[in-house]
Amino acid sequence: MMEFSPQHLLLWSLALPLIGAGLICLLNDGRPQRARTIALVTTLLTLLVAGRVAFMFPANGINLESTGGAFALTDASWLGKISGLDVRFSVGLDGLSVWFYALSALLSFCCVLLSWESIHERPATFYSLLLMLLCGMMGVFAARDILLFYVFFEFTLIPLYFLIGIWGHEDRNYAATKFFLFTLTGSVLTFLGLLTVVLVNFSHTGDLTFSIPKLTAALGPVGGHPMPLHLQLWIFAALTAGFAIKVPLFPLHTWLPLAHTQAPAAGSVLLAGVLLKLGTYGFARFNLPLAPEATAWLLPALLWISVAGIIYGALVALAQTDMKRLIAYSSVSHLGFCMLGLFALTPLAVQGGMLQAVNHGLSTGGLFAIMGMIHDRYHTREISALGGLARRTPWMALFMVFFTFSSIGLPGLNGFAGEFLLLAGMFQRAWMTTGPGGLGLKVIAVLAVSGVVLGAWYMLWLVQRVFFGPLREPHGTGHGHGSHDELGHDLKQPDRPLVRDLSLREIGALVPLAVFIFWIGLCPQFFLSRMAPALQEATQPAAAAWQARQTNEAADRQTALNPRPSVPVVAETSP
Amino acid sequence: MSDPLANIRTLLVLVPALPLLAAVVTAVLGPRVLKSRAHWPVVLGLGLSAIVALMLLAEVNRHSRNMAHDSKLAATGHVTLWRWTGIPDVLATPPAAAAAMEKAHTTPPRMLPFDVDVTLRVDPLTALMLSMVTFVSFLVAIYAVGYMHGDRSYWRFFAYVGLFVFSMTMLVLVSNFLLLYVFWEAVGMCSYLLIGFWYQKPEAAAAGKKAFLVNRVGDFGFALGIFLIWITYGTLNFHDTTLSSGGVLPGVLGQIRLGDASLYVPGGLATAICLLLLVGACGKSAQFPLHVWLPDAMEGPTPVSALIHAATMVTAGVYMIVRCTPLFGASPQAQQVVAIIGGLTALLAAIIAVTQTDLKRILAYSTISQLGYMFLGLGTGSMLGISAGMFHLLTHAFFKALLFLGAGSVMHALGGVIDLRQFSGLRRKMPVTCWTFLIGCLALAGVLPFAGFWSKDRILAAVHERAHAVVAGYHSSFPVYEWLYWVAIGTAFLTAFYTFRAFFLAFCGPERVPAAAHPHESPNTMTLPLAILAAFAAGIGLTLEAGSWFDSFLAESPSLAALAAHETGPAGSHLHVAVLSTVVVLIGIGLAAFFYLGERTQIDRLAMWLRPVYEASHRKLWFDEVYDLLIVGPLRILAYLLSLVDRFLIDGLVNLIGRLPVWLGAVLRPTQNGLLQSYALAMAIGVLVLLGTLVLF
Repeated sequence: MMEFSPQHLLLWSLALPLIGAGLICLLNDGRPQRARTIALVTTLLTLLVAGRVAFMFPANGINLESTGGAFALTDASWLGKISGLDVRFSVGLDGLSVWFYALSALLSFCCVLLSWESIHERPATFYSLLLMLLCGMMGVFAARDILLFYVFFEFTLIPLYFLIGIWGHEDRNYAATKFFLFTLTGSVLTFLGLLTVVLVNFSHTGDLTFSIPKLTAALGPVGGHPMPLHLQLWIFAALTAGFAIKVPLFPLHTWLPLAHTQAPAAGSVLLAGVLLKLGTYGFARFNLPLAPEATAWLLPALLWISVAGIIYGALVALAQTDMKRLIAYSSVSHLGFCMLGLFALTPLAVQGGMLQAVNHGLSTGGLFAIMGMIHDRYHTREISALGGLARRTPWMALFMVFFTFSSIGLPGLNGFAGEFLLLAGMFQRAWMTTGPGGLGLKVIAVLAVSGVVLGAWYMLWLVQRVFFGPLREPHGTGHGHGSHDELGHDLKQPDRPLVRDLSLREIGALVPLAVFIFWIGLCPQFFLSRMAPALQEATQPAAAAWQARQTNEAADRQTALNPRPSVPVVAETSP
Repeated sequence: MSDPLANIRTLLVLVPALPLLAAVVTAVLGPRVLKSRAHWPVVLGLGLSAIVALMLLAEVNRHSRNMAHDSKLAATGHVTLWRWTGIPDVLATPPAAAAAMEKAHTTPPRMLPFDVDVTLRVDPLTALMLSMVTFVSFLVAIYAVGYMHGDRSYWRFFAYVGLFVFSMTMLVLVSNFLLLYVFWEAVGMCSYLLIGFWYQKPEAAAAGKKAFLVNRVGDFGFALGIFLIWITYGTLNFHDTTLSSGGVLPGVLGQIRLGDASLYVPGGLATAICLLLLVGACGKSAQFPLHVWLPDAMEGPTPVSALIHAATMVTAGVYMIVRCTPLFGASPQAQQVVAIIGGLTALLAAIIAVTQTDLKRILAYSTISQLGYMFLGLGTGSMLGISAGMFHLLTHAFFKALLFLGAGSVMHALGGVIDLRQFSGLRRKMPVTCWTFLIGCLALAGVLPFAGFWSKDRILAAVHERAHAVVAGYHSSFPVYEWLYWVAIGTAFLTAFYTFRAFFLAFCGPERVPAAAHPHESPNTMTLPLAILAAFAAGIGLTLEAGSWFDSFLAESPSLAALAAHETGPAGSHLHVAVLSTVVVLIGIGLAAFFYLGERTQIDRLAMWLRPVYEASHRKLWFDEVYDLLIVGPLRILAYLLSLVDRFLIDGLVNLIGRLPVWLGAVLRPTQNGLLQSYALAMAIGVLVLLGTLVLF
C-alpha cells in the first residue's frame, strides 16, 4: 500500500470537494441521482482522507516543535512577494483545529445522506454548493495565514447564503439576507482588526508577514512586542465583532434562530455543527493570544455574557413552539458553555470548552438532522402538531432520545465530558479568585451549573411532546398539502404506509455521529490529549495576564490597608 | 507469591459485566430473534451476577477477617480499566492535599493533575450492596417474565433492566466521585426510560420527565459538592494514587486520610460540601423537599417500581452518605441536617400515605418514609446509627420489593386496577399474594420478629442514644435528636396504621372487584419470587441481628473503620425502645383493624371531624401545587416574556440598526435634488438589483 504523507493528504482533502463540485457541474443532467452520487463519493473520500490525517495527529504535541506546532504543514509563497507583501498559502493543523477540521468532513458526509431525497430542485447546484462549503470549512480551520484564513472565512458565507436562500423554507429570503448581512458586517470589522495586527507587527519588526503563528509569537508576551492595553482593547473589540456574531454570543444571536428555522436540514446541521465553531475557534486562535491583557481586563464581562447566553438561551428555548427554533436557542445556550470554558482560562475549562464545541457539533448536528427527517415526513416544525411519534417511528425516537441525552450532558456520552471539565475549570477559576471579583465569578459558576438543569428541561419537554403520548399527526400527511419540497415518494405508492420509519440511508447518516458521541463520552482523553498543547499555548498568556491583574489588585488592597508597609508585601499567588 | 486478591478482582469486574452483556444481547437480538424469549439473557445474566456477587461477598468476608489484624484499613483490591482523563498540572496543590501528602512523607508538588481512572474497588459496604442489588433484581426479573408477558416491547423492558443493574452495580463499585456522578445519572436515565416505558400514556411520559428533572436539581447540588471537594482536596479519587511525578496523592477516602481524621477540612467548608452532597442524595433518595418525583414514578411497570423505586436505585443516596461518612464526620452540623431531613421526610410521607387510595402510591410514600428512617440513622453520625441505616436498607429492599410485587400481582389480576376504592376481599381468590403481602406488611410495620422490626428498632435506639450522648464539637441548645426520636416513634405508629389500612382494604372485607376483571392467582413465575422475598422479609432481620457479624463486617469498610474504632463495643440494651415501638405499632394495627375491618363508618366520621388534616394529607401537602406556583410557573412566564423580548426588543434593535442606512439616505436626499442623471443612475442600479434578486430566487 502506498503511504501518503500527511501534507499530501491534507491538501487532497481540501482539493477533493472542489473536484467533486466541478464534476457535478460538468456532468449535470438536471436529475438528482448523478449529482448526489458524486457528492456522496466525494464526501466519503474526503472524510476518509481527513479522518486519516486527524488520527495521524500526534498526542501531547510530540514532534511538532520543528513546524511551530503545526501538523501536515504546507507552506508556499502564494501571492508572491508583491512589494514585500508576504502572503503565503500556508495550511496545517494544530490541536486547536484538528477536531473541527475532522468534524466538518464528518458532518458533510452525513448531510449528503440527509439531503438524498429531500432535494429535488436544482440538485446539481445544491450539491456543488455543499461541497464548496465543505472546502471552505476545512480550509478555514487549516489556514495558517491571515489572508488565507479570511478568504476561507468569507468563502463559507456564500454557499450557505445560497443554501438557505434557495432551498430554505417559507421565509428563506429574509433569513438568508439577515444571516448574510449580520455576519458580513461583523467579519469586515474582524478583518480590520486582523490588518491592524499585521501593521502593528510591521511597525515593530519591519516584516510584513501575514503568518498567524509568527504574529502570535511576535506580539505575545514572550515575543518582545506586546501591544499596549488600549490598542489590545481596540483589536479585541474589532475581532470580537465578527467572532461574537458567529458564536453567537448573547445578545448578537437573533440571526441564528431565523437562519436555522429557514435553512434546509443540511444547512442547519452544518451551520450549527461547524460554522458556529468558527466563532469559538476565532476567539481561541486570535483574541486570546493576540490580546491577552485585554482578555484579562474584560474577563468578568466576557464570563457574564457567556453565562447570560446559557440561561437566556435555555429559557427562551423553553418558550418555543417551533422545534427548530427550540434547538437553535439551545445552541445559544450550549455555545455559552463553550465560551464560558474558554474565557475561564484554566486548563481544565479551556479543554472542556473546546471539547464541548466539538460535542455540540455532533449532538446538535444529530438533532437538526432528525428535525429534517421529521420535516421530510410531516412538513411541519410545530411541536403542537405532532405527538407520540415513537409509536410510528421507533428508530427515529431512539436516535432522538439518544441525541437528547448527549445534548443534555448525560454521563457516558460526549456532552458530559465537556460540560463537567469546563464547569470544574470555571469553578476553580471562581474559587481561586480572591478579593471583590471573586464573588461575581462564584455567582457565574453556580448559574452556569444551573443551566444544566434548564437544558434538561426544555429538551425532555420537546421529546415528551413530540415523541411520547398518544399519536398525533398533522392532517393530510403525505397527501401533498406540504410546502414546496413535498415528498413525492408517498404519492407514487399510495399503498405504502404514509409515514415510514428511518431508512437505512437515514440511519447511516446518524450512526457515525453516534459512534463519536460514545467515543468522546467514554474516553475523552484521546481527544483532549491532542488539543491540550495548542490550547495551553493559546490561552496561557491571557491566564498569566489575569493572574498579574489579580496580584496587582491584591497588592493595591494591601497598600490601601497599610499605607506604609514595614515589610515587603508578599502577594498571594495562586496560578 | 500468588496474589490473594486476584479472585476478588476477577469477580468484581464480572458483577457489572454480566448484566451489561445481557442488556446488549437483548437489545441486539431481542426484537428480531428472541421475541417472547427476550427475558432469557437478562434473567440468566442477573442470576449469574447474583451468584458472583455472593461469591464476592464471601471472598471479601474472608479477606477482611484475615487482614484485620495487620491493618483494618487494608483496601481489598482495585481494578483500573482505563483512563478517562489525565490532564497534568491543572490545580495548585490546595493546603488540605499538601498537609496529607506531608503526612504520607511525600513532598507536595506545586501543581496537581486532573486524573480520572475508571477504577473499580470493593469493600464490605460495596459487597453488601452488590449482593442485595443483584439478588433482588434477579427475583424481579423472574417476576417480570410473568408480569410483562405479551407486552409489545417485551425485549425493550429487559434490555433496560439489564442496563439499570449494570449502572447500579457500577455506582457502588467505582472509586471516584466523578464516576460516582456518572453512574448516579446513568441510573437516573434508566429510571427515566423505565418510568416512561409505556410512553403512549401521557402520565407516564410526564412522570419520566419529572423524575429526571427533579433528580437533575439534586444532581446540581451534587455536582457543586464534587467541584468543592476537588478544589479542597485536590483529587476526586476515593483511593490514594501515585502521581506520575512520583509521590502519593491521598484520595478523599483513601488510607492516608482515613488514618487521621484531622486531615479532613473542618468548619464551614466541610458543612458546605456535605450539604451539597446531601442535596444530591435527597434527589436520588426522594427526601423532602425533592421527594415529589417518586409517587409519580409509579406510572412505570410495577416490577420497575419494585426494583428501582423501592429496593435499589433510591438507596443510592444512603449509600453515598455512608461512603462519605468521614466527610460528614467533619461536620456535626451537616449530620444534624441529615437527621432532620430524614425525620421530617419520614413523618410527612407517612402522613400523606394515610389517606391515599392508590395502593402503589401508598407504597411509594412508605418508601419515602422508610428512606427517611435510613437518613435519620445516618444523621446520628455514630457507628450504631450508620450500621442501623444500612441494616434497614437491606431489610427494606426485601420487604418493599415484596410489597410492590404483591401490588403488581393484584394489578395483574384486576387488569390494571389499583385503586383501593374499587376492590376488596381478595384473600380467597389470591391466597399466595395475600399471605406474602401480609408478611411484607408485618415487616414494614415493624412487628416482632419480622425484618423491619430489627432494623427500625436499631435506628430508634441509635437516635435515642444520640439524644443523650455528648459529641465533641457539637453544641445545641435545642434537643434536636430528642425531638427526632419522638418523630420517629410517631412515624412508626402511622406506618403500622397505613400499612394495615391498605392490607385490610385490599384483602379483607366482602369480595368486590371491578366489573370487567376476573381475579385469579398470578402464574408461578410471579408467585415464586413473592415466596422467596417473603422468606427473606420474615427472616433476614433476625438472621443478621443474631451474632454481630453484620456490624463487624460493615465496620471493615474503609470509610467506616475509623468511626468504628472510636466506638466502644455495641451499645447497651435498648429494651425500653423496643417495647415502646412495639406498643405503638400494635396500637396502629389495632386502630386500622377498628376502622377498616367491618362497617367502615367510623372512619368517614373521623375524616369529617378532622377535615383540614384529612385534606392536607389527601392532597399530598400541596407540594406539587406549591412547586408549580413558585418555581415552574414563574420560570415558564419568564421564558415566555424573554421570548417576546428576544423577538421584539433585541431583534427589533437589530433591524433598527439595519434600517439606519436607509434613513441616512432619506436625510441626505434633499441635498441631491435637481440632478436628473443621478436619479436615473440610482433607478438603473435599483432595477438591476431587483432583477438580480428575482433571477436568483
